[in-house]
Amino acid sequence: MDLEALLSDALRPIEPPESLAARVEDTLSAITEQAAAALGSWADELSDSELQSLRDPRNWVRPVAAIAVGGAAAGALALVGARRRRKPSGLRAGAERILGELSAELRR
Amino acid sequence: MSTADSSKPASVASKAELDREFEQLYRDHLRDVYSYSYYRVGNHHDAEDLTEQAFLQAYRHFERARRESDGRPMRPWLIRIAHNLASNHHRDKSRRPESNIEAVEPPAHPHTTERVVEGREELRLVMRKLDDLPEDRRDALIMRFALDMSNREIARALGRSDGATKVLIHRALKQLEEQMFSENGPGSD
Repeated sequence: MDLEALLSDALRPIEPPESLAARVEDTLSAITEQAAAALGSWADELSDSELQSLRDPRNWVRPVAAIAVGGAAAGALALVGARRRRKPSGLRAGAERILGELSAELRR
Repeated sequence: MSTADSSKPASVASKAELDREFEQLYRDHLRDVYSYSYYRVGNHHDAEDLTEQAFLQAYRHFERARRESDGRPMRPWLIRIAHNLASNHHRDKSRRPESNIEAVEPPAHPHTTERVVEGREELRLVMRKLDDLPEDRRDALIMRFALDMSNREIARALGRSDGATKVLIHRALKQLEEQMFSENGPGSD
């Protein structure tokens, strides 16, 4: 018995279903779009005093971090390709959690 | 196998470059992550969920992981994410992970009918015995045989040294062989 040959036979790579690629891309797309939207909302909600405080470089850490996240969101849109026309799948639970975390980061 | 790795330091890579690299990583290793997930959870539905979650996590941490990879292949990092998610999945469901791989149906083979019957029985047996191995041994064999990962890659994916991984795989094969032998009896080849 050639055990290694048997294992190679038994554990063949499994091709992912075509729908999975679209699903992953849809979810990444949703995250990046909502992260970008959250960044926009965050900027809109700043009060005058907050805007004033942003002129002080000591307060720049959070905005810079937020912009970095927003930039990441915009850049990742390249991933979505032509698959975005698909209706979102039911896998949004994980994405929603990540979105919540991203939004919380942006608002801190 | 192509990789998304670059010798360019992460500090000088633009966001667009990082996204292109992540996209390439995703395209290169979607099958690896899916295969690993499938053999860990034993069904397509959960494997799809795990694969999606793995790439979401990978995307979130890609820049840092790329920087810390120091030019090494990123596949072990991706598989490690899938490995951790699969472990969480089993823990959440409060069931033995070993109970799943047994349910995986062996793939079809282009042999004669008789050979197919014999072959599939043998495949079922090896899957069942694989199922009986300790989790770390079984995972190492999945990485080796389903993903064709090197000892070094498996070591990185499991967070072990190269030497410890070599021993792990050797012991896994030895244990599996003994279990197969005991099942087939001393008269079998």
